[in-house]
Amino acid sequence: MATQVFKVPDSIIKDMTYGFCPGCDHGVAIRLVAECLDELGLKENAITATSIGCSVCLYDYLDVDSVEAPHGRALAEATGIKRARPDKFVFTYQGDGDFASIGLGESTHAALRGENITAICINNTTYGMTGGQLGPTTLLGQVTTTSPTGRNVEYYGYPIRIAEHIALCEGTAYSARVSLDSVANIRKAKQAIKKAFEYQLKGLGFSFVEILSTCPTNWHMTPQKAHDRVRDDMMKVFVPGVYKDVLQKV
Amino acid sequence: MSHIEIDEQRCKACYLCIDECPKKLIKVGEKVNKLGAKPVEFCDPKGECLGCAMCATRCPDMAITKVFRG
Repeated sequence: MATQVFKVPDSIIKDMTYGFCPGCDHGVAIRLVAECLDELGLKENAITATSIGCSVCLYDYLDVDSVEAPHGRALAEATGIKRARPDKFVFTYQGDGDFASIGLGESTHAALRGENITAICINNTTYGMTGGQLGPTTLLGQVTTTSPTGRNVEYYGYPIRIAEHIALCEGTAYSARVSLDSVANIRKAKQAIKKAFEYQLKGLGFSFVEILSTCPTNWHMTPQKAHDRVRDDMMKVFVPGVYKDVLQKV
Repeated sequence: MSHIEIDEQRCKACYLCIDECPKKLIKVGEKVNKLGAKPVEFCDPKGECLGCAMCATRCPDMAITKVFRG
């Protein structure tokens, strides 16, 4: 008798198809969030504040209550939701442009205040939805539509390392960076997301997971080559790991 | 017997699962789905599937909807 070892999570809306480009790792990240919601039994008690960017349509994919936030303000909105309803499980799902560029103030101060919420940030080193412009995490030398000769330090400055930045905030309970470049790393990513969710349930403070993802369309690569780029280029600058864990003293 | 189930209408033809399968049991099909893509097919005439679920873990579009092991 064969046992079922994989199914579409219950927290995913039935019979929907993602609007993402072929090979985009947003789909994997949303599935991991849904699996963690299922395993922790949070589907009926969760509220998500979604952001602007490719992550904007989260409410079309995840079967949980959600509120759409203005660009970058997802964590400000999530703060309000959590303070009004502390019994609810509140999380945000944002891109790197939303979290670390226009919303850097909201994100940093939510961490500094130690708000008991979870933030998931997808880092694909570009603004995917608007056509592949230079973002806060664009790697040095990377060609985008607004840096046609590649990102250079003199003109554009350095990319931000979000997980390390959030780890420096006093109110942060958990800050980790994970990657989706291989199946082994996808399984590690799920563990990190689950841990971040559990830290909120324990009331330890702000928990954060940065997920290294792909954007094959705007990188002008095949999905396979995009994963090679994550492994060869991105993971050398954005090194995966746990940067803060109040229970483990990392 | 270990096997997978594929929802052809969800597949966007990124073909990441083809590289992931350790037994190379997933192939590009001939049909075209509603998204205009050629979805993958599961071909396992010898019953080699391990039920490892690596294809389903990799698939960004949850086109591999079920994996059975055993």
